[in-house]
Amino acid sequence: MTEGRTGLRLKVLAALVAFMFAALTTRLWFLQVLAWDQYRDEAKQNSVRLLDVPAQRGRILDDDGNLLVKNRLSLVVTVNRQEAGSRLEDELYRLSKLLDVPADELASRVEDPRYYVFQPVPVEADVGKRIDFYISEHQRQFPGVTVIQEPVRVYPEGDLAAHVLGYLGQVNEEQLKQEAFADYRPGDEVGVTGVEAAYERFLRGTEGVVKYRVNSAGQNLGQFGEQQPIRGQDVVLTIDIKAQRIAEESLNLGLQYAHGIYDEDTGRDLAANGGAVVVMDPETGAIRALASAPSFDPSLFVRGMSTAEYERRFGAAESYPLLDRAIQGLYPPGSTYKPFVLLSALRRGIVSTADYYPCPPSWAVPEDPLHEVFHNWSTVDQGSISLAQALYDSCDTVFYPIGYEYWRRYYPPTDPPVEQIQRDLQAFGFGRLTDVDLPFEQRGRVPDAEWKSYVHKQYPKSFPDGQWFPGDFVNMSIGQGDTLVTPLQLAAAYSAIQNGGRACPPHVFDRTQEADGQVLHSWHARCPRIPFLQAQVEYVREALTQVPVQGTAASAFIGFPFSQVQVAGKTGTAQVFGQQDYSWFAAMTEAEGREYVVVALVEQGGHGSSTAAPIVRRVIEGLYGLTNTQFIYGGVTD
Amino acid sequence: MDVVATKLYRWERRPLRHLDPVLLISVLALGIVGLITIYSATHASLVAQEIDPGYFLKKQLAFVTLGIVVILVAASFDYRFIKVYAGIIYVASMALLVLVRTPLGTNIRGSQRWFQLFGFQLAPSELAKLALVAMLAAFLSQLRSSDLSLPDLYRATAIAAVPGFLVFLQPDLGTSIVLMAILVGVLVVAGARARHLGVLALTAIVLTFGALQLGLVKDYQIARLTAFFDPQNDPQRSDYNRTQAEIAIGSGGLLGRGYLKGTQTNLDFVPEQHTDFIFTVIGEEFGFIGAIFVLMLFALLIWRAVRIALLAKDPFGTYLAAGIASMLAIQVFVNVGMTLGIMPITGIPLPFVSYGGSSFLTNCAAVGLLLNIHMRRLT
Repeated sequence: MTEGRTGLRLKVLAALVAFMFAALTTRLWFLQVLAWDQYRDEAKQNSVRLLDVPAQRGRILDDDGNLLVKNRLSLVVTVNRQEAGSRLEDELYRLSKLLDVPADELASRVEDPRYYVFQPVPVEADVGKRIDFYISEHQRQFPGVTVIQEPVRVYPEGDLAAHVLGYLGQVNEEQLKQEAFADYRPGDEVGVTGVEAAYERFLRGTEGVVKYRVNSAGQNLGQFGEQQPIRGQDVVLTIDIKAQRIAEESLNLGLQYAHGIYDEDTGRDLAANGGAVVVMDPETGAIRALASAPSFDPSLFVRGMSTAEYERRFGAAESYPLLDRAIQGLYPPGSTYKPFVLLSALRRGIVSTADYYPCPPSWAVPEDPLHEVFHNWSTVDQGSISLAQALYDSCDTVFYPIGYEYWRRYYPPTDPPVEQIQRDLQAFGFGRLTDVDLPFEQRGRVPDAEWKSYVHKQYPKSFPDGQWFPGDFVNMSIGQGDTLVTPLQLAAAYSAIQNGGRACPPHVFDRTQEADGQVLHSWHARCPRIPFLQAQVEYVREALTQVPVQGTAASAFIGFPFSQVQVAGKTGTAQVFGQQDYSWFAAMTEAEGREYVVVALVEQGGHGSSTAAPIVRRVIEGLYGLTNTQFIYGGVTD
Repeated sequence: MDVVATKLYRWERRPLRHLDPVLLISVLALGIVGLITIYSATHASLVAQEIDPGYFLKKQLAFVTLGIVVILVAASFDYRFIKVYAGIIYVASMALLVLVRTPLGTNIRGSQRWFQLFGFQLAPSELAKLALVAMLAAFLSQLRSSDLSLPDLYRATAIAAVPGFLVFLQPDLGTSIVLMAILVGVLVVAGARARHLGVLALTAIVLTFGALQLGLVKDYQIARLTAFFDPQNDPQRSDYNRTQAEIAIGSGGLLGRGYLKGTQTNLDFVPEQHTDFIFTVIGEEFGFIGAIFVLMLFALLIWRAVRIALLAKDPFGTYLAAGIASMLAIQVFVNVGMTLGIMPITGIPLPFVSYGGSSFLTNCAAVGLLLNIHMRRLT
């Protein structure tokens, strides 16, 4: 049958077959040649799983190498609300019996707002092995409950320096959007406050990865590559645990002591609800101790916490213990401001160290039709006194006319305005960030005309006056009015007096090092000079040495061995509307080649001499190893 | 001289002298490709189960050996006997298709397709393919006119429709497609007019829709088909096979990832890889070059089949060879097309390469018949 027509028809059949083969070949070409790289990647993703191996977080040490924060493996019970579903309540009841934690308490921990509903929430850390076994053996009763072994932060010194160290939390959505957190994933831990946050980049280390093959059922077929995690660097602080301990103890003792002091102005005992102590090396800006009271236990953050518990522990009733008053608390400085006002006045030629100035009980702005009277803290007329005495006796009425002189230079306002005192105070670091290496620092406030009219427009109720008056300068001259500083700002400014006019940014960071002690990064101190004559700075420092000897802090320093340790200082009693006075003391010490600036603040602690000065005295005694004196009532001098 | 001439002439005409070596070599080569790739597809999971990694390889080797015997047997007798017994073969085959639906048949994974005989599984649908080819060839070769009339076309269609429907009910969509392709292939060669084939196609479409409406098609078949037409919109993930197969082949690239080195293959990502998805092993481990080589072997095989149809001594031989060519071509196209994502997943094995006895032996029988026709083209 070789008939032509059949041949033709067979060719049609062959053509159909050829068409099919052409289709297959075209498709093969597309898949294997054109789209090859895409499929190669998909095949790789198919067969390779990556398992992250978290790096061990770096430790935090004090300047002597004492551990402040380290790591420990802990068995943590976590609850996944989504997986537990409707059985959550029963489950928590069973867990409550197992863990011996009230069911209500567990329920509130599970509702921690820091976790999403699909994320496991740690409800209890440090459970025993027995609980781990029990839960895994009775997994059906505990849907969504997992016991995981994970490294948790340990604080060998308890709540010591809690504000400086800070704590960890989960990385939040805002952060995840930022460049700096590019390699973080939801659920990762990150420093939230303190050194943990400020030096996150050193502490975190680098996550490792284990690559392993899986088959289609997801079974692990063995590891075929890995990248070891790189341990986080240890951060060594300038903080000294001895100094820190003394500072915290003294602050707490001072608060307790103040609770027993009767305040004549309010007719109640002092509330003394909080305070701060800063100990700094004036030559370098290194912070040796930074205490804030009340404090908190950072290990609480290892497990979940409900909003209610958070509020109960850290809310208003407890005077906001998470607030680091040393760098975040804003207070009028009161008389502790006077040395800087005086330095400005000397610099600007308003006063002279050679002259004497009257110190009457009160003073009024000349030409003021309302004749508003500004009082000295004392009702005694001291006659004419030197500027040094005006400092150590803290005579307000010497400073009022100085403040008024700034008004005379300011008024009528020019463009730019003549605001010499503000510029000089800013040169000491007031009204601006000290750039301390801790997060959430507040900048304080050096008020001027522009600021005053601005906030008045913004908040007319809180700031009813938008106009700049002579009284604003007068109040500023004694550290009142709208002036606000942080205790750390004040310590940094006193450091500049102690070191002869250099502004050293305060810092807690000293260096990072490997586990074996090899140093990786260290702090580079730079202390630029500020524009004040050294002789004038020296004059002020000299005057302040008289404060604990014969000035406003004399009774607080009765019996102090000044021959061993030189102490200069300044008291401050800041008035805060509607509250008891805030107590300040700032000191500069020198002995055995060691210098310190010590600043103490007590909220509603009364006079500077009565609460803050005894605290500072006790800190100084501790720093130099002197025997601690009993808490001395410092009297009611400024 | 005369005696010598006669003897020479007889010698010249002896069928064994006219084996088609190209056909035999291409089939043998495909069989070897099958052995190589079946080992690659199965050794890893066998090792994981602590079974001899050559388990499937050895079984397939037995089928290949048996296949050679089947080829020889199918080539040994004069194919024209088949024309005589075509009716009986056809009816017997239809009876088996009906019987397999009774409790005598075995149900595997939702399909009632097999007889369990002495430890072997016999699929009557495989036999039905050959029976249909034989019956169509016998029917069409006895027609007098050189062009196919419409009534004859309907008769031929009816002959194909019976096994097509029975197989479809099993359900075995793939074999139904093969049966229909055989019909179309043979009809083209028999001289059906394009217009008539068009009417036939239209009828098929209407019937398909009817079957869908009447719920004759199983859900999983619809799922597979809809997954094919819209893979993005498939909640059941029934396109998993398809995606994994494409990844396997695509990741092979031009030169392949090397024998036994394909991760898709060795890590078990492609399902049914030693049977229906064997081509993905070739694509992944031997790349575009290897895949084209295998397709060339098939092209060679089908070209020889079409050539034999042309050389055949009688119309019966022509139709028989054309039907076999169509049967092989559609199986290759549907199977490879399925692994490449251009055809729906239907469960048709790749001839001579996929693991499994029934299909391999049936295809060997078909090749034996081709040889048979070729050998006897002069007698």
